Amino acid sequence: MCGINGIFAYHSASSAPQETELLATREAMRARGPDGSGAWWSMDRRCGLGHRRLSIIDLSDRASQPMPSEDGCFVIAFNGEIYNYPQVRVELEADGARFRTTSDTEALLHLYAHYGAGMVRRLRGMFAFAIWDRARRGLFLARDPYGVKPLYTANDGWMFRFASQVKALLAGGHISRDPEPAGIVGFHLFGSLPEPFTLYRDIRALPAGHTQWVDAAGPREPEPFSNLADVLAKSAANPAPAAEIPERVRAGVLDSVRAHLLADVEVGIFLSAGVDSGALLGCMRDVGQREIRAITLAFEEFHGSSEDEAPLAARVCEHYGAHHIVRPLRKREFFEDLPAILEAMDQPSIDGVNTWFVSKAAKEAGLKVAISGLGGDELLAGYPSFLDVPRWHRRFGPFAAMPGAGFLARKVMAVVAPAFSRATPKALGVLEYSRSWAGTYLLRRGLFLPHELPEVMDADMAREGLRRLRPLHRLAANLKPDPGSDVARVCVLESAQYMRNQLLRDADWAGMAHSLEIRVPLVDFTLLRALAPVIPVLSPGAGKAALTNAPTLPLPDEIATRAKTGFSVPTGDWMNAAIGRGLEPAGRASDPKGLVSRRWSRAVLNSMAPTDAQPQLHAS
Amino acid sequence: MNPSPLMLAIVTDAFGGRGGMAQYNRDFLGALAETGAVSSITVLPRYAPDPFALPERIQQTPARPGRIGYSVAALQTALLRRVDLIFCGHLFMAPLAAVIARLKRAKLIVQTHGIEAWSRPSKAQRSALEAADLVLCVSRHTRAAVLSWAATAPERVLVVPDTVREAFTPGDGSTQRTRLGLEGKRILLTVGRMDSGERYKGQDCVIAAIPELVTKGHDIYYLVVGEGADRSRLEALAREAGLSNRVRFLGHVGLPTLVEIYRTSDLFVMPSTGEGFGVAFLEAMASGTPALGLGVAGATDALADGQLGTLVAENDLPCAVARLLAAPRPDTQALAAAVRARFGREKFAVSARAALNRLMQASSV
Repeated sequence: MCGINGIFAYHSASSAPQETELLATREAMRARGPDGSGAWWSMDRRCGLGHRRLSIIDLSDRASQPMPSEDGCFVIAFNGEIYNYPQVRVELEADGARFRTTSDTEALLHLYAHYGAGMVRRLRGMFAFAIWDRARRGLFLARDPYGVKPLYTANDGWMFRFASQVKALLAGGHISRDPEPAGIVGFHLFGSLPEPFTLYRDIRALPAGHTQWVDAAGPREPEPFSNLADVLAKSAANPAPAAEIPERVRAGVLDSVRAHLLADVEVGIFLSAGVDSGALLGCMRDVGQREIRAITLAFEEFHGSSEDEAPLAARVCEHYGAHHIVRPLRKREFFEDLPAILEAMDQPSIDGVNTWFVSKAAKEAGLKVAISGLGGDELLAGYPSFLDVPRWHRRFGPFAAMPGAGFLARKVMAVVAPAFSRATPKALGVLEYSRSWAGTYLLRRGLFLPHELPEVMDADMAREGLRRLRPLHRLAANLKPDPGSDVARVCVLESAQYMRNQLLRDADWAGMAHSLEIRVPLVDFTLLRALAPVIPVLSPGAGKAALTNAPTLPLPDEIATRAKTGFSVPTGDWMNAAIGRGLEPAGRASDPKGLVSRRWSRAVLNSMAPTDAQPQLHAS
Repeated sequence: MNPSPLMLAIVTDAFGGRGGMAQYNRDFLGALAETGAVSSITVLPRYAPDPFALPERIQQTPARPGRIGYSVAALQTALLRRVDLIFCGHLFMAPLAAVIARLKRAKLIVQTHGIEAWSRPSKAQRSALEAADLVLCVSRHTRAAVLSWAATAPERVLVVPDTVREAFTPGDGSTQRTRLGLEGKRILLTVGRMDSGERYKGQDCVIAAIPELVTKGHDIYYLVVGEGADRSRLEALAREAGLSNRVRFLGHVGLPTLVEIYRTSDLFVMPSTGEGFGVAFLEAMASGTPALGLGVAGATDALADGQLGTLVAENDLPCAVARLLAAPRPDTQALAAAVRARFGREKFAVSARAALNRLMQASSV
C-alpha cells in the first residue's frame, strides 16, 4: 500500500514534465507511504514516475520503487498487494524468470514481460499500478476488479498524469479545477462521487477492473478485464443447492483470509460486535495466526448501554484468544479532528468518520496493516436493500411502467400533501423510479433523487450533470450481463455503486491518512467466484449464518443474535452538530438519518468544492 | 474497417481556400494522403476562390456555397460511392456529416478549431459531435472547451496542433526593411485578420502601448499585416494617437514578402484573446523572430507555455515589449529548429497519422 504518481509528455508538441511537479504530487501523498520515496525518469525525460512507500512485503531497500526490470525494459510504480504472489512467483520461475527481491512488485514486472496486458487476469489482490514499457514507448495502467485501490488520471491533450489521489494531482499545480457537473450531481445523488467522475472535469478515475494504455496518441479508452455481473451471470445458469452455502462460505472465506495475511509485518483487525469482523478474526486464528491484536471503538455516549459494542467485541476476543484494544472515543475528539478529516478526505464523502478513528487507533497501536470486515453485507446479502429492492420493483414497477404515472403522482402529492412531500421526498419517487432495477436501487440508496436536484443546487448545473452522468443508465450498465437472480442483481449494484464509490474509497483515504493498509478479505474476486453458485439461493440471514459458522470455533451465539438487531454509531449526531457549528443550520436531533446525511453532504461539498464553482453548487 | 480507408471530407474550404482553417484542412488531409493512411480522399468544399493543385490521392468536387445545395451535393456524392471515414472540418457542418456517417455506417471525425467550439453550440451540433468516433482539436484550450459541453469520452478528443509551412525559415529580410524605410528602427509585427465582429487579435492594445514606449526611447514602428473590416477603426486609432507614421497597415501580402517581413521584424506581438491556436506565432518564430502573446487560449500552445515564446498578462504587455526589444536577438536557427521540433510538418504528419490509427484500432476492438 503506497502512493504512486507519474507524468508522461506523450505529445511531440509538449514540453518535458517538470521534476518539481512530479515531486509535489508525490509528496502530497506522504501519509500513504512514510517509509521511503523514489522517482524515476525515462532516458529522454518524457516520462517520470513517483512512489511513496509503506513497506509491507520485503522491507529491504531492494524492493524500493519505482522498480525497473533487470533488463531495464520495464519500470513499475505499484500501490497494493498481490495476495497470490507466492504462486505467481513459482510459475514465473518455472518459466525461467529470475527474482532479485521477495517483493510482489517484482512479480508484476515479470508478469508484464511474459503476458503483456493479459497479466491482470492472473492477479489476486488489490492493486493500482503503472508500468513504463520502454520498447513500445507507452504507459500501461491497471486497477483491481473491485476497485479497492484508487487510481486517478488527467489528460490535457499533450500530457498524461496519474496519481493515487485527486488532491495529489491538484498539488502538482498544472491541472484545471473546473468543476465536473456529473461528479457534483453524482455526489448529491449518492453521497459519494460515482467513478469515473470526480469533482473536477479534468480528473477521472480509471474505473475498477480496467486497464489503460497511453502512447504517442494519448490515452486509449479504458478496457475492462473483469466484470462482477459476468461472474454471477455464468453461475446463475447452474446454481448450487442451498445446502452447499455453509461449506462454500467456510472454505471460501478461510482461503481468502489466508491469502490476505501475506505480509512481513504484523496484521491486526478492526473488530466490531458484528458477524463479519468476528468471523474473520476466528478465521485468522484458524489459518494459523497466533498473536492477533483487535481494535474496537468505544463511543462514550454508549458506555454501559446495549449499543456499546466493546463488551461483545471483548467476548469475541476472549473466545478466539486475541488481544483486545478498546479505543474510547468522545464527541470532543471528533470536533478536534474534523478539519484533519476534511483535509484527508480525497473526494467529498458523507461517511468515513468511523474508519478514520479506527485507523487512528490502529496506528496508535503501532499497526501498519489491519483486516476489515467491509464487504460482508454486499457479498452475503446483509443489507435490507436485498429485500427492499426486489420487493419495491415487483410491487410498484408495473404501475411505474405506465407513462407519466410517477410524475403525475408526485406533482399531485406536492399540492395535496406538501408536508408529506417535504418529510418523505423519496416516497414520492416510488412510482417514478421503480420501473427498473437501477431506478429502484437509486430510490432505495439515493441521498436525493434526480427530480429534487434543481432545488438543492444550481438548476443548470443539475441538468448538465444529469445529462453527463446518466445515473440510471450507468447503474443499469453494471447489470450487463443480467446476473440472473434478485440477490445477485442487488449484490452487483451494492458492490459496484455503494461499496466501490463510498466504502472502499473511504477506507482508502481514512486508512492512508494514518499510514494504515486496510485489507478486505470479503472483497475478493476469487471468493466471489467461489460463492457465485450459491448467491442466487441466499435467503435472508443465510449468508451471515454461514459466516458465523465459518471459523472452526463458531462465533458465540450472542454475537449472531445481537447482530440481527443492528448497531448504531453516534457519528450521525456528531455530524449534525458539526453542521450547526459550520455552514448550515443543524437539523433537529430527531431528524431521520437520511435528512442528516443530506445536510452533511452539502456541508462537506461546500468545504471542498472548487471555489469558482461555489455559486453553482447550491440553489440560492 | 478497411486498412486503407476511403475518406469523404465535409469542409467549408480546403484546396483553393483562404485563411487558417483552409490551411489546416489542406495540411491534415495532405498528411493523411501523403503517408498512405487513407487510400483516397474526396473533398467537398463550400468555397474555393483561388487556383489550386491537388496532392496525389485527393480529389475535390466543385465548390457549393449555398447550404442547401451543398447538403444535397454532399448526400449525392456520399451515396454514390464507398465511404469508410467522414472528416468534418467545421463544427457547423457536423450535423450533416453525422447524418452521412450514419447512412454510410462510416466512422466520423469532427475537427474543431477555435471560438466556434468554445461556447455551447446548438443541440444538433452537440449531438453530432458526441456521435463522432474521434474529435480533433487544434489546441489544449479548444479541447478543454469541447469537453466542457460535450458528454464524450475524453480519450476520443485528441489534439493535433497546427503546423508551420516550410517557406518560413530564418534568413535575410533586409529588402523589406529598406523598402519600408525602417533601417535602424525597432519593428513590431502582427499578422492576422482584422474582423470587426471578433476584434480579438489585439492590434489595438499594441497601438495603445506605443506612445509610452517611444517616450521611453524605443524607436518603434508597428507593421500590421492582414485585411478585414476592422482595419479602418484601427487606422483611426493610430491616427488619433498621432502614430500615423509609426503604425503601417500593409494589407494582404504575398508569401515571399510575408516571409521577409517576419524575418526583418524585431518582435512579433499578438496580444490576442481568441486564438484557436495562433499559427502566425509559429510562422514568426520559424522565421527566427521572437514572439510575444497573452497566456490565453491557443496562444499558450503555439508559444509552448512560454518555452518557445513569451506569454504575459495583458497589463504587462508594454513592459514585456520593452524587455524583449532590449534583449539580444535570440539564435534564429535554434529558435526555428525548436519550433519545427514541436510543430514541424513531420511531427504534424505523425500526429495526424497517430490520430487516425487510434480510430482504426478502436474500431477493430
